[in-house]
Amino acid sequence: MAEQKSPPEDILNVNNLSFYYGKNLALNQVTLPIRKNRITSLIGPSGCGKTTLLRCFNRMHDLYPNNRYEGEILMNSHNILEKNVDIIALRSSLGMVFQKPTPFPMSVFDNIAYGLKLKNIRNQNTLKEKVEKALRQAALWDEVKDRLKENATGLSGGQQQRLSIARTLAVEPMVMLFDECTSALDPISTQKIEDLIVDLKEEMTIVAVTHNMQQAARISDYTALMYIGKLVEYDETDNIFTRPKNKMTEEYVSGRFG
Amino acid sequence: MSYLKRRKIINILALTISTLCAALGLILLFIILFDVLKEGMESLSFSIFTKDPAPPGREGGLRCAFLGQGLITLIAALVGVPIGVLGGTFLAEYGKDMKLTKFLGRLSDMAMSVPSIVIGAFVYAVLVLPLGGFNGWAGAAALAIIILPIIVRTTADMMSLVPAALREAAFALGASYHKVIVSVVWRSAMSGILTGILLALARVAGETAPLLFTSFNSNHFQLNLNQAVPSLTVSIYQYAASPYESWVKLAWAAAFVITVLVLFLNILGRVVVRLRTKN
Ligand SMILES: Nc1ncnc2c1ncn2[C@@H]1O[C@H](COP(=O)(O)OP(=O)(O)O)[C@@H](O)[C@H]1O
Ligand SMILES: [Mg+2]
Repeated sequence: MAEQKSPPEDILNVNNLSFYYGKNLALNQVTLPIRKNRITSLIGPSGCGKTTLLRCFNRMHDLYPNNRYEGEILMNSHNILEKNVDIIALRSSLGMVFQKPTPFPMSVFDNIAYGLKLKNIRNQNTLKEKVEKALRQAALWDEVKDRLKENATGLSGGQQQRLSIARTLAVEPMVMLFDECTSALDPISTQKIEDLIVDLKEEMTIVAVTHNMQQAARISDYTALMYIGKLVEYDETDNIFTRPKNKMTEEYVSGRFG
Repeated sequence: MSYLKRRKIINILALTISTLCAALGLILLFIILFDVLKEGMESLSFSIFTKDPAPPGREGGLRCAFLGQGLITLIAALVGVPIGVLGGTFLAEYGKDMKLTKFLGRLSDMAMSVPSIVIGAFVYAVLVLPLGGFNGWAGAAALAIIILPIIVRTTADMMSLVPAALREAAFALGASYHKVIVSVVWRSAMSGILTGILLALARVAGETAPLLFTSFNSNHFQLNLNQAVPSLTVSIYQYAASPYESWVKLAWAAAFVITVLVLFLNILGRVVVRLRTKN
């Protein structure tokens, strides 16, 4: 494919990023690009800092005291870690899906419309259209189209996770951040979500944390391996899994440690 | 004796003693309930709700006392519920990382165990003496002070039980803090908060001591809160101790009604939880 030849542009650039939980260094001088309209996987053993890195992108760490960033994450050549950044605007352009489904205690419809209402979209027809579009994108529409008024907490685990995805998609973010979003799900739900993530890259950029290497190999274009807060290697997924440059990467992807 | 055998005996002993204690508590409770139900049902007539107090021997009721007590409880709730819920919200959310918060929480918990008569005496000193006499506002204030710490605690606890992931999911969509609290945290904790409110109201519905020094009682149909206001519980207290048979009977009937009411509030609290946790 011709378009793959020239490397795609970067939507985010992580530059020398370090992160502290209080005094604990959890990310140590990480540098990597996030390519537009591509899927980037973050892999590595448990506790290596994948979630910590992901939560820097939408400044989730700001919710808790004593957390500290050093370095920068550039977006349109602005450092989004700066103090005066509009965090609410930032968070609505970088959507996040968590490990466990997080349905709000309200109807399916209101769940999806939640982010839209935050953006002051009140027109009922617009809301209906956007809710349907998001549910279709998340491959959930057929299952819930007759249950829009039911409480979302009554859906199955896999449906709840796709609901969480749809809710995030509804606000049309530029980047979607997934944190091991299939680790609590059965294989069929996992398959559905993997498929929809791959479809999504037409429209947006995806960063996905996963502890499952096969998943990273299946879905992502780029892969970053982390270890104890450091980036070990970042490359095209093919290279990471077949021609790793780093000895540690080779051992990790062949399952010899981790 | 083998270790196993000794453990078995201790087991049986502990089981027996705790069962006996539970039985003792329940038996006493049932004796009280049985007495109230039996005497109350015998004395109960509809006129208790429709007539105002009458001199001993003539047929009277406690209509004004029901209304007075209801009015004072309502005002206490109107003041205590919002302040309590907002205070609990502060403890669980905005203030959760402040050092002051733990102290305030402890203080509020201590207030919960202050005997209600002490609260009555306090309100007497600040709202009755300076204003020159018993008044309804003082009664409402005393009840509000009693329900406040209960509501603060249950609200804060119920809100802390809401998983962090749910809050984060709302923040991640670009919600502001107050939006997250109102539309996600309160909603999730709603049944618990409501139950706390109902139980707090059930607790004060039967209080006599804090009213004795504050709004006191009146035998007339008068709901002016600047004066003493008729009170059901104080009436029960006065009638039950009186030498007149008709008054004692009325006291039993009123005790019965209030018991049923408190029971109803308690059951309602539990039903709310049941309903909300179902879906
Ligand atoms: N809230 C926190 N407070 C303090 N340390 C934390 C916190 N969350 C994670 N950590 C630590 O930061 C490191 C990275 O954690 P995390 O990013 O969750 O790893 P991963 O997602 O790769 O499993 C771990 O050592 C973990 O113990
Ligand atoms: Mg993680």
